[in-house]
Amino acid sequence: MRATCWTGRNSVEVQDVPDPQILNDRDAIVRITSTAICGSDLHLVDGYVPTMKRGDVLGHEFMGEVVEKGRGVGNLEVGDRVVVPFPIACGACWACERELTSLCENTNPNARLAEKLWGHSTAGIFGYSHLTGGFAGGQAEYVRVPFADVGPLKVDDGLADETVLFLSDILPTGYMGAEFCDLRGGEIVAVWGAGPVGQFAAASAFLLGAERVILIDRFDYRLRIARENVDGLETLNYEDMDSVPEALKEVTGGRGPDACIDAVGLEAHHHGPLYAYDRVKQALRQQTERGIALREAIMSCRNGGVVSVVGVYGGLLDKFPIGSVMNRGLTIRAGQCHVHRYMKPLLERIVNGEIDPTFIVTHRLSLDEAAKGYELFKHKQDDCLKVVLKP
Amino acid sequence: MELDVRVRDKDPLARFLGWFSVGLGTAQLAATKAMCLLVGARTDGAAPRVMRLLGARELTQGVGILTRPRPTAWLWSRVAGDALDLGLLGAVAVRNRKARTAFAIANVVAVAVPDVYESRFLSRRSGPVRSAMTIHKGVTINSPAAEVEQAWAAAADLRALVEEHGARVSFAAAPGDRGTELAIEFEHDPPAGDLGTAVQKLTGNDLATRLADDLRRFKQVVETGEVTRSDGTPDGHLLANHLRQRAAQPQAEVTR
Repeated sequence: MRATCWTGRNSVEVQDVPDPQILNDRDAIVRITSTAICGSDLHLVDGYVPTMKRGDVLGHEFMGEVVEKGRGVGNLEVGDRVVVPFPIACGACWACERELTSLCENTNPNARLAEKLWGHSTAGIFGYSHLTGGFAGGQAEYVRVPFADVGPLKVDDGLADETVLFLSDILPTGYMGAEFCDLRGGEIVAVWGAGPVGQFAAASAFLLGAERVILIDRFDYRLRIARENVDGLETLNYEDMDSVPEALKEVTGGRGPDACIDAVGLEAHHHGPLYAYDRVKQALRQQTERGIALREAIMSCRNGGVVSVVGVYGGLLDKFPIGSVMNRGLTIRAGQCHVHRYMKPLLERIVNGEIDPTFIVTHRLSLDEAAKGYELFKHKQDDCLKVVLKP
Repeated sequence: MELDVRVRDKDPLARFLGWFSVGLGTAQLAATKAMCLLVGARTDGAAPRVMRLLGARELTQGVGILTRPRPTAWLWSRVAGDALDLGLLGAVAVRNRKARTAFAIANVVAVAVPDVYESRFLSRRSGPVRSAMTIHKGVTINSPAAEVEQAWAAAADLRALVEEHGARVSFAAAPGDRGTELAIEFEHDPPAGDLGTAVQKLTGNDLATRLADDLRRFKQVVETGEVTRSDGTPDGHLLANHLRQRAAQPQAEVTR
């Protein structure tokens, strides 16, 4: 089959690889009909997440049709149309029982590697380095889905792929980022990063009761798309100002936003000396993250507020303002999304017309054009916001 | 209650200094002339012979520190060694007047600080020498104790490994209705101390590592009915395989 493979730093190729096979009774094989490139794929391609190997098949946002299943998969039939959540969850451990599926205790066969870096392991994730299991991803014609009786969500034929594809990751991730903010009505929420997750987080914050939502980015076209599709959204382009925390203070009566969502993660951009410092330290592998967005989110948040982190971080960050967090009583909430928990309720919201996630798609390419898709997305060429690949 | 887990006399700093001695001694013996050049000494005459003697001394001290459970005397011998090294380097500096010698002196001074600190620290230890560590390898399984014990009875290989090493197994209800804590407790006391531990780890015979792998797989089988396998790790969790992973892409030949 054809599959998008990581072939080294800043290098992606669509190659011929063997077809996946059923390895365990609870596996299914899914023929991919749509798959997307995620911002966190860029962290892998750019070489900031350790333990990538040449030939790793990328991709954790995908959907398709069940073509084969193991004996232990009772709830799916061959021919079913499914969206697959990016974390792999067993459904039986303590974390899964509490719907903390990105923390499944059984699905990372490289758990010890993850424990060395993070203390404890997370769930396995499709196409997302060997730290999270070394599972082949879904930017391919076929994928093996372990624990297929737990993860995949069946969808009606009446719903177009693009309407439901983003239930696999970015829509639940953005929604969880907003849910972390404990919104009760009347809050001001600031969101760093107007990529797809940031845009969904902003839209979700309104859904959950925020009164004002301010989205921050450096690309006017991303902010424009967000304003056109999320009613009432306010935006800031940080390249036009010298201090985001000061600007936020001034537009919130001096208080700061009640909650701040970091939808940027470890490859933040900025201008100024602190950014140069981060870049140098990251290039010298003295830290794995560039933490400008997270630092700003912390410094901007009102006293006693919530900082919600759904942007991806890999390891270690320098100059972390813990004094601000402690003295001002901030709550930090973070996590890879527990996608399984959100898929059904969000599908209902899509069917009811409360959310239409299709607005973020700017590019539709064939699977063989994946490398071009990565280039467009990474360098924000041609006003690229989201690339969907069709095998 | 004081928890007796992984308690021992030797601390990470002593272990670090032991490995430092082994590394430096090996360099002095294996690359004698390079080390002479590095400290600004001559590569002919008596200097290489002295360098080799010092290397043998370092190596002996390193092995002593790593193999003894409470290596107080060996640590003090490092302090004495630092003093001797400083004297010799002083003589080299007077004769050759090279910047590299000053750099070498600075390095000896830098390592003499933790040497003195650790020697004094270990000198204050009294009471019986604690060489062995009690290690508990535990895993929490989301099932009632009766089910876990039943699965344990069926896990013949794992039980044989545990019995072979005289380890003790216990099952306890985890607090807060979290299932069952399965704990395997054993004394870790390899014949040659930390050197022995390193050898065991390198040869894959380290009991703690084997148990960690096996308990993870045991939990997977009890909770999910299967051992989780990925494309990069098709055999399931084994620490020994972590560094020789395949690429995460489907393999043409697979075993079910």
